[in-house]
Amino acid sequence: MKTVIPDRLQEFFIGFTDEFEVKVPVLTTEGERVFASPFDGPPALSGGALAAKPTAVFFPQQDGVISIGSEGLLHASSAKPLFVAGFTPRDLLCLRFIDRFFAEGYRDDIYFSRRKGALIAAVSGFSGASGGFVPLSGGACDLEFVFDGAVWIVVPYSEPGKRIAARIPDDAADDALAALLEKSGGCVDEDAAIIQAASKLLLNEMVPDRFWDSVAESCIQCTGCNLVCPTCTCFGVQDWRYPDRVERSRMWDSCQLEGFMREASGHNPLGTEGLRTRRRIHHKLAADRTKWGEISCFLCGRCDAACPTGIGIVAVSRMIVERFS
Amino acid sequence: MKRTFTVCPYCGTGCMFYLLSDGNRLVGVEPSRNHPVSRGGLCVKGWNAFSFVGHPDRLTVPLVRKDGELVPVSWDEALARVVSGLRSVQGRYGKDSIMFASSAKATNEENFLLMKLARRVFGTNNIDHCARLCHSSTVVGLAETFGSGAMTNSIDCIDKADLIFVIGSNTTEQHPLIGTRIINAAKRGAKLIVADNRVIRLARHADSHLRHKNGSDVALLSGMMQVIISEGLENRAFIDSRTEGYHEFAESVREWTPERAASFTGLSAAEISDAARQYAAAGSAMIFYSMGITQHTHGVDNVRCIANLAMLTGNVGREGTGVNPLRGQNNVQGGCDMGALPDLYSGYQKVADPSVRLKFEKAWGGALLPATPGLPLTLAMNAAARGDLKGMFIMGENPLISDPDQAHVLAALQSLELLVVQDIFLTETAQLADVVLPAACFAEKDGSFTNTERRIQLLKKAVEPPGEAKADWEIICGVAAAAGFYGMKYENTSGIMAEIASLTPIYAGVSHRRLPLAGLQWPCTDADHPGTPILHRERFSRGLGKFVPVTYRPPAETPDDAYPFVLTTGRTYFHWHTGSMTRRTHLLDREENRAFVEMNPDDATKLGIKGGERAVVSSRRGEITVFTKLTDVVPPGVLFMPFHFAEGAANALTNNELDPESHIPEFKVSAVRVRRAG
Ligand code: SF4
Ligand code: SF4
Ligand code: SF4
Repeated sequence: MKTVIPDRLQEFFIGFTDEFEVKVPVLTTEGERVFASPFDGPPALSGGALAAKPTAVFFPQQDGVISIGSEGLLHASSAKPLFVAGFTPRDLLCLRFIDRFFAEGYRDDIYFSRRKGALIAAVSGFSGASGGFVPLSGGACDLEFVFDGAVWIVVPYSEPGKRIAARIPDDAADDALAALLEKSGGCVDEDAAIIQAASKLLLNEMVPDRFWDSVAESCIQCTGCNLVCPTCTCFGVQDWRYPDRVERSRMWDSCQLEGFMREASGHNPLGTEGLRTRRRIHHKLAADRTKWGEISCFLCGRCDAACPTGIGIVAVSRMIVERFS
Repeated sequence: MKRTFTVCPYCGTGCMFYLLSDGNRLVGVEPSRNHPVSRGGLCVKGWNAFSFVGHPDRLTVPLVRKDGELVPVSWDEALARVVSGLRSVQGRYGKDSIMFASSAKATNEENFLLMKLARRVFGTNNIDHCARLCHSSTVVGLAETFGSGAMTNSIDCIDKADLIFVIGSNTTEQHPLIGTRIINAAKRGAKLIVADNRVIRLARHADSHLRHKNGSDVALLSGMMQVIISEGLENRAFIDSRTEGYHEFAESVREWTPERAASFTGLSAAEISDAARQYAAAGSAMIFYSMGITQHTHGVDNVRCIANLAMLTGNVGREGTGVNPLRGQNNVQGGCDMGALPDLYSGYQKVADPSVRLKFEKAWGGALLPATPGLPLTLAMNAAARGDLKGMFIMGENPLISDPDQAHVLAALQSLELLVVQDIFLTETAQLADVVLPAACFAEKDGSFTNTERRIQLLKKAVEPPGEAKADWEIICGVAAAAGFYGMKYENTSGIMAEIASLTPIYAGVSHRRLPLAGLQWPCTDADHPGTPILHRERFSRGLGKFVPVTYRPPAETPDDAYPFVLTTGRTYFHWHTGSMTRRTHLLDREENRAFVEMNPDDATKLGIKGGERAVVSSRRGEITVFTKLTDVVPPGVLFMPFHFAEGAANALTNNELDPESHIPEFKVSAVRVRRAG
């Protein structure tokens, strides 16, 4: 079994910065945990999901699409491949979902220009908020950092993951990992049951419009719930004309905005706050379930944390289950 | 990818976030979970605050008007032109023939320096900023009653209040992250009273929604106070120990029976009594107010009533209480604190006080400083229109769109012999200028902003300004140097803050070193002082709180047969002021991209006007064409228009009538008529 003690993590990640653009959760001077270079601060793998969605490393809030100058297309030079540590196992499920989404049909080259060849490392074990236990991912990544309360056990899954782990000598027997795996198997997720139940009620059309209107009273259209959600992928596009070039960029959009679906005629199929609030939840719990065969909320916890009035997806699902089951 | 922890450039709530940059390009924001105001959230403007920064319309070089055209010049030439122009106007028409307009969007350090430039280098107290248009009534009214014209309590107090009374503030749209706290308070069971003619979002969460007539606030508040006194619900102990002037005041509200108040407000007597009883019964009650209170010809009287109401019930100086004017711009509190005001130095030290002047004279190299207070912004515009004021230096304001009676403002600005505008975009006002100085925006400079709860927070530079643009403080220092004054050289903005602290008792303990993460709330009087979340705890800033009797006056212009509608103006959630930043932000502009008027469907039916079509709205001052938005948010007889849109400028219609004490214009009531376009 390969382990890294917490004090050596920074050095460990820095060791890969020649080969990769390494992004890990680090602690800022303001005490926030953010995805950054290991040079930027002490690693902060523990503490649960980061406030920002990890998939932003592949598709930042605003991103260049093309830039055209007098001599034609201007290309950005390609960077080193990414090595991103800090996905929770639930974040991995989100990543899998959007990988498929961005690949199927129209393939999003900009997304895959960063995603392809990227090394993904999950974080689990006793690494949740306030030391809570995060069940292990089971392998949907290149490697996993599992905290047993004292050291980080490094578990490689893919070939590239094994090459990373190869730099660490085997220093202990596998018992600790086996125990953590067993503990993972016994974890029950109440929130999963809640959104499953809410999903069923939505699919059966048991939730009336007036419910959505009343939830929407508390929505200030901040767009935060969408912008922090790893499975929200909608974006808008803008063109800016500079004296020497035209730049097209795209930025995260939000279905909570009235203009999101407004047609040129002025007609809007999501023309009321209630309909937009309904869409945010319905899309994840019902529409995606019909289209992709699964709910597209993997309970990463971000929208409930970011919503200033407490109407994230779990909170609303709870209301639905309480009122309509 | 770099992260810079900095302050939101929009509203006075003062959220902080990380700006994300890739090289010299901003690529997003990340909220802060630890920041005491943001708590992991932002509003839509905050989430998009990075977006206008790299816009191709940014000003990149100084411009000077030659043969009628604005042409690029060097900084040296532009600054020389500014100084010679201002000096020449002063030489011909006197020291006070020029005006400096500072900016609630600029930092504390920059406001302080422009104040210093006006007073020390150009020898005039003619300096003011847009607080004149928003909370000048608060500064006058609360200084008189409490001794300090700022929000008494902190945003965190919302979590502790038993009752929240919101009057004249559309909080979820204008101070969104304060609005959400109020929604959360209502959800946890705090009582919420909303007094606003429009059905704003908070009204949907309110226990009582009072839709009183525009401009009838004095009647409503007097009626409530009459009920409290006549039913013996006042807080005797507080009145006796902490206040003065009670009896004269009590006498003055005696006539305001709820029935009489009802006849002025259009409410029922029961609504008024009920609100009064609820407010008086609360263990701790907070009042929030904003432009709906201040922007009237009786704005100061409105503020006095609010202060009287809070004192009457002992709702001052404790957690979860207070009189809480929500300051609009991210640094309008700081602009006032820094003395960008015609009668006050930084920290509200009076220009008229010789000992104050002596202190500043000593610190600034000995020259005598002017003793008579200068012109408020609104009176300066009037003076220009009359031909009595000939030069203006405007930093980061766009009065052609933001000030009342656009035709009047245009005539005033065009009559100037010299107009200098320092800004980040070529605004409508800048297009009229003789000299345009390109400035860095919030993401391109260091300094500090003071939010509505008096929290001084650090602004940090994330990217370089475009082209030759410079931070406002660097430009001001450049003007001073070009004018031959060498007492304005600073290595950085923390050096400016050190000077502010040395001259300003309420900021005496402030230094940039002490500001990371949560900043400090003033008064902060020495280097160990932890800051002051709640004012007036043991005593009011002036000693005893002063009850001030108020007499009801109607708005200056009321509807009549020719102009039968009340027009009230304001802002929307998605745009900011004159739109120079938000209209260059893709998502915000997409949300609202055309000038509109809100109209009650009943009125529309009577006039044969449909929703979404064009209508002509006119007043005695002007006429504009805008799109209609039919909604029950406004009652019949009332129209609402935001002032963000140059192509349908609400301020072409507004009335340049001023409060006699604060000189704030009556943006909230003017008489208009409306018809279908075409
Ligand atoms: S918890 Fe919220 S943010 Fe996370 S995946 Fe579900 S919907 Fe998205
Ligand atoms: S985070 Fe909450 S308030 Fe913001 S848009 Fe989403 S639901 Fe609305
Ligand atoms: S509430 Fe105000 S300070 Fe906070 S993000 Fe919105 S505009 Fe910025």
